[in-house]
Amino acid sequence: MKPLIIRKLIVDERNELFDAQGMRYAEFASDYSRIREYASFILEGCPEAFREGNLLEQQLSEIIKNGIKHGNRCDPAKRLRVWYDLRKRARFIVEDEGEGFLELEAWNEFYRKRQTALHREDFDEFLALASYRGPSSDETDGGNSLIAALEYWNGGMIYNAKKNKVGVVRWFSGGSD
Amino acid sequence: MEWTPKLSPSGDEAEIALVGDYDLYHAPLFSAFVLGKIEGGWNRVSLNLSGVSYLDSTGVGSIIRIAQALRKKGAKLRCRGLSGSPRRVLEMSNVIALLEEDRPERASS
Repeated sequence: MKPLIIRKLIVDERNELFDAQGMRYAEFASDYSRIREYASFILEGCPEAFREGNLLEQQLSEIIKNGIKHGNRCDPAKRLRVWYDLRKRARFIVEDEGEGFLELEAWNEFYRKRQTALHREDFDEFLALASYRGPSSDETDGGNSLIAALEYWNGGMIYNAKKNKVGVVRWFSGGSD
Repeated sequence: MEWTPKLSPSGDEAEIALVGDYDLYHAPLFSAFVLGKIEGGWNRVSLNLSGVSYLDSTGVGSIIRIAQALRKKGAKLRCRGLSGSPRRVLEMSNVIALLEEDRPERASS
């Protein structure tokens, strides 16, 4: 049987992932229809080795989507700020102007139950828990983006105290081109 | 994303070939289509994902909803043609465990 692995979303205001020194910066309007376009813009010039097909673009799009949809609630008056660094590894800080991810602890508990069901091979329970449904979830929310994100961002995924800013890093075994 | 269903003679089994990006802009419409058909009588569904090169969390959520609807009928969602980043996304979200995957048979040497 595989080991039970339960990761957690972590809050750490002073984490080094929030040090934006030397990072590039862009900000965007909260336009839901342009989420993938924003991700593509940030990744212009990204080393091919970091892209892993379109996996990096997909994972970055998820963070942008969370900020625009759940953070800024698609309010066109609110901006999404992105700091990024694609030297040596892929590193991003994404900040919205919303109230923060208030259900973070509830999500951690959901994830613990989900992973436990999977580990027990209780597929009925796992299927019931496959998607997280929060107070603002709708049919466009897969309810699983953070699950993949915790695995993908292998250098860390940290929220600030207000939980409206996330810092992420992915390291690549092959390095950049 | 475009999809083309192929029905069995009995009309209750469908194989659906998907082509394009299974993402936040397309997945909700596809889910609504398939869930409506399952409610209307489809008992088994197989997704051919060989034409999908981009899958995001909304797409994964769509797959979960279809799997949940089929489970109520005692069936498991089947899929084939998974590769590249769509496979990685399903693996990272552990959702691949919910699927019955048809893998191509190896050619004999």
